[in-house]
Amino acid sequence: MRSLRLLLVVLPIAALSVAIPLVNRIEPRVLGLPFLLFWIVLWVLLTPLALWLFARLEARR
Amino acid sequence: MNPSAALALGIVSAILALTGAIALVAVRRVRMDPQQFLVGGRSFGTLLLWVLMAGEIYTSFTFLGAAGWAYGLGAPAFYILAYGTCGYTIGYFLLPAIWQVAKERGLLTAPDFFADRYRSRGLGIAIALVQFTLVIPYVTLQLSGLRLILTMAGYGSVDSTVAVGSAFVLMALFVLIAGLRGTAWASVVKDILIVGAVLFAGIAIPVRFFGSPAQMFDRLIATHPAMLTLASGAATHGTLWYVSTVLLTAIGFYMGAHSFNATYSARSGDALRRNAMLLPLYQLVLLLVFFAGFAALLIVPGLHGTAVDRSFLLVVQRYYPPWVMGTIAGAGCLAALVPASALILANAGVFVKNVLGDGFGIATGERARTFAIRILVLVVAFAALLYWFDARQTLVQMLLVFYDGNTQIAPAVFAAFLWKRATAWGVAAGIAGGLSVALYLNGDPAFLHGINAGFVGLAVNVALLIAVSLLTQRANGPGDAGSAAVNSKALR
Repeated sequence: MRSLRLLLVVLPIAALSVAIPLVNRIEPRVLGLPFLLFWIVLWVLLTPLALWLFARLEARR
Repeated sequence: MNPSAALALGIVSAILALTGAIALVAVRRVRMDPQQFLVGGRSFGTLLLWVLMAGEIYTSFTFLGAAGWAYGLGAPAFYILAYGTCGYTIGYFLLPAIWQVAKERGLLTAPDFFADRYRSRGLGIAIALVQFTLVIPYVTLQLSGLRLILTMAGYGSVDSTVAVGSAFVLMALFVLIAGLRGTAWASVVKDILIVGAVLFAGIAIPVRFFGSPAQMFDRLIATHPAMLTLASGAATHGTLWYVSTVLLTAIGFYMGAHSFNATYSARSGDALRRNAMLLPLYQLVLLLVFFAGFAALLIVPGLHGTAVDRSFLLVVQRYYPPWVMGTIAGAGCLAALVPASALILANAGVFVKNVLGDGFGIATGERARTFAIRILVLVVAFAALLYWFDARQTLVQMLLVFYDGNTQIAPAVFAAFLWKRATAWGVAAGIAGGLSVALYLNGDPAFLHGINAGFVGLAVNVALLIAVSLLTQRANGPGDAGSAAVNSKALR
């Protein structure tokens, strides 16, 4: 199950690096931002959440 | 000097003088034994660590370079927002592991970590020298940021030579006066001012000229649609470049000597984990810096080359009163001085401990050490000045040289936890090979379909580390039992 938890951590890194070619577009715009920029901002916001969740699951182990 | 320049530069001087005074008050009360000087007595909780580690987010690079790249290139600048976040996530695992080892083995510096794990004092000295040298492009980056800000705040009355001379003097003076504690406190003042300046530049400017940031993007999409996405694949600054640069800089994120010091100074591993969790939010301010750069592109188009770094300052200079310029310039000066000071002091301290002390047995007393550190501060500042005259690069390019180099230390750190068979010779060969390739290729961005040169260096580095480690014997020594802690379990 640890590998599942680790996925929580790998996901943001992948979303911000290797996934970028898949979201490299202007539309749809979200909150006025071009989609690429929105995607990056979104994952910067989700990363602390993912790490926090990971820490919670680790502690419960 | 014209009245606008007098007012703006007067405000800059006042901000610098005030911060200097705060730093001086903070310095007076601390006694400086090596534990205290290098690692703050391993007593820093989440808050002080935050200040120490977050200090690097808001540098003159963030302030001007990120806006400059948004202005000149567009979407490739977004990597700056992404790599920090990835770097913190890696740090969440790596830093507590390093902290644990440092505490158990009584380590004081980054080279100590390698000397202890690979049982080679020579390796420690070599890594200390590499890290010390890599500070030079970083200080050059801050120096040229400083020069640019002073020129802009001078409204045409400060010429480039005077500005770079003043920048050099300011830098040396600040480092010598503030010291490490003083720098940490100055960092608080700096962050408050910078956040204010960025809120102004990223929100007030787009609102005044376009109505809102969203409307600014409407205009951008109409006029510069290609700038809001990355070029595909192998193009210069295309998606391949982006992915490799984000990964490379994230891996190199905590490899500087100063990061090790900051890590060692933590009170606990959990303080480091909490810190890593929160830091991504702190750098969201970068989004506003991009806004400022994009706004400048629409308001004052036509800047090219290294001139892009002054993009949004030009908007401020043209359309806002001198006191706004002065305040933003003052914040910008601190953004250059504080991080440069932190890096110079940390690396000078490491140089004195590992190279002069461990290597030659000199400068071990407190007074000799202080003296040596002061000399080294001047050496770094001077070398940075020479590098500036030699290499006219944009701020982002200089930062990438710093990261391309620093990342070459990473395989040695990861191998320390993950591969028991790694030897000092393997690590040394890897770093030497990786550095040579990365620095050689740095001048050739077209190489390998736009993949970041540091990445090629990293591949060579890892290959050499493995090959040479397999060919050499691991030194045995008294450290064996202790470094049992240094295994993959520590990387929890």
